Parts: sequence; structure tokens; C-alpha cells
Amino acid sequence: MKKRSFNLASLTRSKITWAVVAEVLILLVCFVIRPDFFSIKIQESTGVLYGSLIDIVNRSAEISIIAMGMTLAIALGGTDLSVGALVAVSGAMALKLMRWDVLEYVTPGNYSVKPFWMAILFPLITCTLMGLFNGVLIAKGGMQPFIATLILMVSGRGIAQILTDGKQFTTMYAPFKVIGQGNLGPIPMPIVIMAVVCILMGLFVRKTAFGTFVESVGVNRSASRLSGISSDAVIMIVYSITGFLSGIAGLIYSSRIMSNDSNNAGINYEMDAILAVVIGGTAMTGGRFSLVGTLIGSIIIRTIVTFVYYFGIVAEATMAFKALIIAVVIILQSEPVREYFARRSDKRAMVKRG
Amino acid sequence: MPDNIILEMKQIEITFPGVKALDQVDFTLRKGEVHSLLGENGAGKSTLIKCLTGVNHKDAGQIILDGVEINPQSPEQAMEMGISTVFQEINLCPNLTVAENIFIGRQPMKRGRTIDWKTMNRRADELMERFHLDIDVTRPLSFYSTAIQQMVSIARAVDVKAKILILDEPTSSLDDNEVKLLFDVMRDLREEGMGIIFITHFLDQVYEISDRMTILRNGHLIGSYGIHDLNKVQLVTEMIGKDIDVIFNLKRADVKADAAYMLEAEHIGIPGKVKDISVNIKEGELLGFAGLLGSGRTETAEMLFGAEKTAKGSIRKKGKDVSLKNPHDAIMEKIAFCPEDRKLDGIIGDLSIRENIMLAVQARRGFLHPMSRSEQEKLADKYIKALGIATPDAEKKIAELSGGNQQKVILARWMATEPDVLILDEPTRGIDVGAKAEIQRLMLEMCGDGVSVIFISSELDEIIRCSNRIVIMRDREKVAEVDGATCTQQNILNIIAEGSVAGKDKEAGV
Ligand SMILES: Nc1ncnc2c1ncn2[C@@H]1O[C@H](COP(=O)(O)OP(=O)(O)OP(=O)(O)O)[C@@H](O)[C@H]1O
Ligand SMILES: [Mg+2]
Repeated sequence: MKKRSFNLASLTRSKITWAVVAEVLILLVCFVIRPDFFSIKIQESTGVLYGSLIDIVNRSAEISIIAMGMTLAIALGGTDLSVGALVAVSGAMALKLMRWDVLEYVTPGNYSVKPFWMAILFPLITCTLMGLFNGVLIAKGGMQPFIATLILMVSGRGIAQILTDGKQFTTMYAPFKVIGQGNLGPIPMPIVIMAVVCILMGLFVRKTAFGTFVESVGVNRSASRLSGISSDAVIMIVYSITGFLSGIAGLIYSSRIMSNDSNNAGINYEMDAILAVVIGGTAMTGGRFSLVGTLIGSIIIRTIVTFVYYFGIVAEATMAFKALIIAVVIILQSEPVREYFARRSDKRAMVKRG
Repeated sequence: MPDNIILEMKQIEITFPGVKALDQVDFTLRKGEVHSLLGENGAGKSTLIKCLTGVNHKDAGQIILDGVEINPQSPEQAMEMGISTVFQEINLCPNLTVAENIFIGRQPMKRGRTIDWKTMNRRADELMERFHLDIDVTRPLSFYSTAIQQMVSIARAVDVKAKILILDEPTSSLDDNEVKLLFDVMRDLREEGMGIIFITHFLDQVYEISDRMTILRNGHLIGSYGIHDLNKVQLVTEMIGKDIDVIFNLKRADVKADAAYMLEAEHIGIPGKVKDISVNIKEGELLGFAGLLGSGRTETAEMLFGAEKTAKGSIRKKGKDVSLKNPHDAIMEKIAFCPEDRKLDGIIGDLSIRENIMLAVQARRGFLHPMSRSEQEKLADKYIKALGIATPDAEKKIAELSGGNQQKVILARWMATEPDVLILDEPTRGIDVGAKAEIQRLMLEMCGDGVSVIFISSELDEIIRCSNRIVIMRDREKVAEVDGATCTQQNILNIIAEGSVAGKDKEAGV
């Protein structure tokens, strides 16, 4: 008995609990508005699952994937503002490789000029290197992460434009289409990719000591260095990972639209990813992080967007409405509120015992 | 004379998850007295203070100030009620100027709207003069040493005209002169009728300055005594609850006659920090470093650990040249270093005791070879037991431990790496008498196992008690090396005072 009530209190103290509560509340409202909200069906022609819930998860893939890396950057006490721009770079590069000599291949079709693996691998390598560039500026150059990553945030879209000569290409290459619009069995491909990324990241940070090193450097860089951790290497690895994951998100995004769009691809992704991390319970000051929390956070953000559509809110007000709900979620998670509920459940536990 | 009493704390109780930090503790403070609060690490001294200043909230009990029951909710509120505090961990803002730090939250205003910088800096100057500190108050605080920072935080607390002044281990990083200065100021304030609560682990200081003392053990009140009611041995017995013969029965390590050199440094130095120093240490030897604060002891240690790369000279480990570019290199060579500034360079506050202990071992293995959870737990439990770290379990956040217990965890982190060379920079700072003896015993035990220990301390008696040889530093230079078995405190003090010339003669003579 004692054990259970103690757990209740520690549960109410956890930010993740409140994130889940928020998610459930939003879903319930959606359900009231649309009773068919929770229904999941199998599309007969393709055998793929569809329904609002599936759609929410599917559409959250890009942010979820990026937010995995963002979690580590924030746990280090930093942040990465360049992720959205890297999404654009990744897409531009993939399209450029598939349509190498644009003048000759004027019409899009089911072809790729360069081998498919190149169109996948090169964007990923480029984005990883750009992430590493951020990491070097921060670790070796001693720059504030905010400023260091601002450089690529501002210039990244320009680089994407240059890569494609300022043009927007489209393609109809079938293998590329699979990434964003295909499926593995009944599950949409973005969800599969997202699941693989999340699991691999989870294994990487928790089955090796990397996660502990990140937390340690995030809390106290000097003490970590004196304990023998190569803080610089940890920082550079984390920003490279974030770059790499932005590259994956860029491929998914451009495959969804089968096109590159340097101006709009990944716009505001940095904000959504940071929010996902914060809602997931990782503090902006660095230290302890939770990838599961981040995943929940990212799904919440997507749920809110869906919710806003359902509510039939005019497009101009969408952002404001989204901000409002996020504010409520974050207040729910704030220290005083959690303390209040924790104290209440402590008291209740005491009454029961007494 | 009950009207003499300014503060009464009655039946105070505070519980943290897993520990009862205070259990029915009474405490009484009179006007114009210095009252020492004593107890082992984790006894609850800081918690009692934090309860009085509104940082921690009491679960039961009463606080009566000047006959009125109070219930402060924050240090600011407590300050308004006339309770001014210097906390154990310096909590000033390193990037603000000295003057700003002193007047933060109570800046002198011009026409009620803008800050009057001139007055502020002038008054800060005056205050610094009272403490005989010749510093530029418009410089950022971080520019100055830990000792000066500590003096600034004391000055800040003293300047608020309070009824009660609380000093939680204020002298831990001060040298003798600074302590004397502080005591002069405390005596003045006592004359003015202020009540002062003083926490320290330096028992000599207790007898020098206080009028009464209150002893806590494990969150319980043991008693309040006049300063002459207990002598030092009785006091220690009351504090730790058992006799302390062990403390005075330490035996210096025997260095085998044929012991090989473990670490040899020749002409290492960094311009502006350490001029040029050569030291060596044998297997199983304990080498003490004596000298004033800022004499270059820490910097030398940092070079031997690669925390600062030496600009010249060479370092040999077991006869082999090694290049120590960073701490990781040193850890791979089985050199360990327990730094002086616990809060800044030691603890990883948000992580658990277990993680803090395993960190250096894990860093040596690299992150791809993680220790299993059970390995970590075994390691943590072993050292929690070996060092007597007061905690309910290994999963407690290190930041929630008492200061002295944090120090023990950092020590455990390095002992766990099973080093060949262990460098300890002021390892006994903020540690209670019992634990101090325990740490000295552990050092000597490690020497017995063939580990070479470099021991930096500002307390000469403990250096002399443990060291085989003692390096004396002054003005960023080694001025002498003396034999630990034959030298006396006075010898060392003379060498430090006389400086290099006398020191060199001495060295030739040994
Ligand atoms: N915020 C906290 N959360 C949980 N436990 C705490 C917290 N603060 C203190 N404790 C526990 O309360 C006990 C008393 O700690 P306290 O800091 O008062 O000791 P202390 O007498 O000041 O010791 P020291 O001489 O080492 O500074 C310790 O067991 C400590 O672990
Ligand atoms: Mg304390």
C-alpha cells in the first residue's frame, strides 16, 4: 500500500505523465467533435491502415525523427536551429541527383539519373557534415549553440537554392516515392522509418554510456572533462546526429511531395522539434533527457495541428491556437502545478495510511 | 535572562524522501553571541539553517524571532525579517561585478528610478576596505579567486544590517589571514549585539571565536554547551558518537627502499601560472604540497593531470615519457585528480550518486563499453560503504547530499578507477573530523598498496601527519622540499615566510 501511494506521488511529479494527460484530453475533444476519430480501417485497395490516429503518427514522422537529435542537443544545454534548413538541403540534393542534368531531363518521370543509393546517401552525408560543422563551431570554437546553428539556419536554404539553381524539380521515380508514401505491410513507410530511428536512438543512448555522457556534459562540462569524458567529441557527435536525422526527415518530406521546395520544406521545424523536447520533459537548461517523452511531445504537437483543422479554425489563426494549447500543456507541466498535485496525492496517501 | 534571546527554534522536524534530516531539534540564539553549530557531514546543520531562511520548509516546529513566531518562505523574506545568510555553496553571480553582487536586490537608487552606480561602487569599495581587500569592485566576480569570492559573499551578508548573521562553512577556502580578518569583523558585530550562527569543521576555530555551541548528530539534537563545558576530545566524541583514538593513530606509509619512481616531472610550467617545477614521486609514497593559496599548487597538479597542458619540460610515468594533453590522456595512464572546487569541477549535480561514482571508470572504458547496471550498483555500493557516505541509497541525486558527503562521492569516483597516481587537491575541505581521519587513513592504505598519492592541503598538521616528503611552494615556484618525518609546522611556516633563498639552502641541506 505504502509503495503504491508513493508511486502515485512520483508519477504526478513526472512531466511525462502530464504530457500524456494533455494528449489524452486533446484526443477526447477530437473524439467528441468527430465520433469516428478513433476508428482505424484497412484500405482495401492497398492493404494499408488508415484513420485519423494513423495519420497523426504518420505526419509526425519528420518532427519525431529530428526531435530525437534535438533532445540530445538540448540535453547538452544547447539547441540546434539549423534542422529546418537542413531538411531543405537534403531534399534539394536528392532531387538534384535524380534530375542531374536538368536541361536534358526536362520532364519528370519514373527515372533517376544517378543511382538511387546516391540520391539517398549523399544528402544524408551532406547533412551529417553540416551538423558536424555546427558541432565544431560549438565545441572547438566555443560559440553559443544558438548563434552557431543560426549560421546554417540562415544560409542553409540559400545553399539548397544554389544546389538546384533556384528551381523546383519534381520527380516521379517510384523507389523514391516509397520513402514518404509507400508502406511496409499495413504500416505507412514514414511510421516504419520513424520507429526504426527511435528504437536505434534509444538503444544507442541507453545501451551504451553515451546518454550518460550527454547528461553529464550538459549538467557540468568542466567537471565532465576533468572526469575524463571528451566533452568536445560528445558535442560534435550529437550535432552530427542531429544533422543526419534532419537529412532523413528531408528525404521523407520531399518524397511526400515528390519535389524539392527550398523555401517551404522544413519551415518552423526547429521550433516544433524544440517544443516536442520541452513538452517531453527535457529542460532547456540541459541534463536529464527522455526520448520517450520527446516522442510523446512530437505526437502531441501533431495532434494539436489535426485538432485545429477539425475545429475548422481559419488558417490565419492556426498558429495562435496552436500556441495557446501548447501554453496550456506547458503550464500543466510547470513545477508549481506538479508540486500541487504531488502534495495532494501525498496527503491522500498519508490519510490512507493513518 | 530570557530577554537576551533573539531566536528560538523549537521541535523542528524536516523530512526528505528517505531521510529524516531533522528530528525534534531545539536551538536557541542569544543577542551578542557567536554560536557554533556542529556535527558530522549530513548531521543536518545546513538543513537547520535552510529551514530558518525559508529555503526548506519545516514539517513541524516553531521559529520565534524576537518573541514573534515567523515562517519565512524564501531567503529574501528571511532577510527582510533580519536574518542574513552566507550559504555553504557560494551563490553569487560570477558574471556580475563585485559591487553588483554585493548590492543585488538592494541597489542604491537615483531619484527612485535608476541605479546609482557611483554610490554603489563607492559603498562597495568602503566595504571591501573593512575586509582589507584591495580589489577592483567593478570587475566581474569570476575574475577573482574562490577565497575572494567567499569574502565577497560574507561582506554582502554582513552589510545588510541584520539581527542574525548565519555563516555556513565560510572559512573552508580562506587562508589564515583571511580567517583572522573575518573573525575581527565577527567580533565587531558581536559587540554591536548581533547574534551569529557559525558552522565549521575546523574545531580550533570553534574554540577561538564562539561563546556557545550546539551539536547535532543524525538529525537529532545532542545538546547545547558553553564553550568551556567541553574540551576538544569530548566535543568530537559527542559529534561522532564514539571515541576517536583512530584519528591520532595514523601511521605514515613506508616507502620501500627499492621503490621505483612512479611519476617524474622535469621543468614543467605554464607562463603566468607556474614558473618551472620539477617533482617526482615513488611508488607507495605520499607527497604533500604545502603553501599559501595561489602559490601554484593547484596549477602544478593540473599539469600532472593534463587538465592544463604543460608548456615545457617532460613528464615520465614509470620511466616512460607520457604526453598529457587532456584529462582523458591522464586517466588512460591511471592518473587520477580530485579537484579543489567541488561545485564547479567535481559534482554533476543532476546525476545520481551511482552515476557520479562510475563516471571516470566509464570514461576510461569509452562509451561503447558501458558498465552494466549491476556493475555500476556494485561499484557505488562498495564505495558508499567504504567511505561511509550518508545516503539512503545510490540513486539519490548528488546535489541533495550534504556538502561533505558530496566530497566523498567525488573521492569515490577517483578511487574507483584504481589509479597508480592519485592527486588530491584539498580533499578534506568541508569534511567532518571523523571523515577527515577516515580519508587520511584511506590515503595511507592506498600508499600501502603501492599507489602514489599527491596530497595538497592548506592544513599543515594533516600534511605533516601523512606525508613522506613535503614540497613547499611559494609565488608559483617550488621553494623547498622537506622530509615529512622530521619537519615541524614551524619549519614549514618559516620557509613559506622567508621565501626562496632560505628555502633553497634548506633543500640543499636535506
Ligand atoms: N534537498 C534535499 N533533498 C533530499 N535530501 C536532502 C536535501 N538536502 C539535504 N538532504 C539530506 O539531509 C541530510 C542533512 O543534510 P545537511 O546538508 O543539513 O547536512 P550538514 O550537516 O550541513 O552536512 P555537511 O557538513 O556535509 O555540510 C543529509 O542526509 C542530506 O542527504
Ligand atoms: Mg552543510
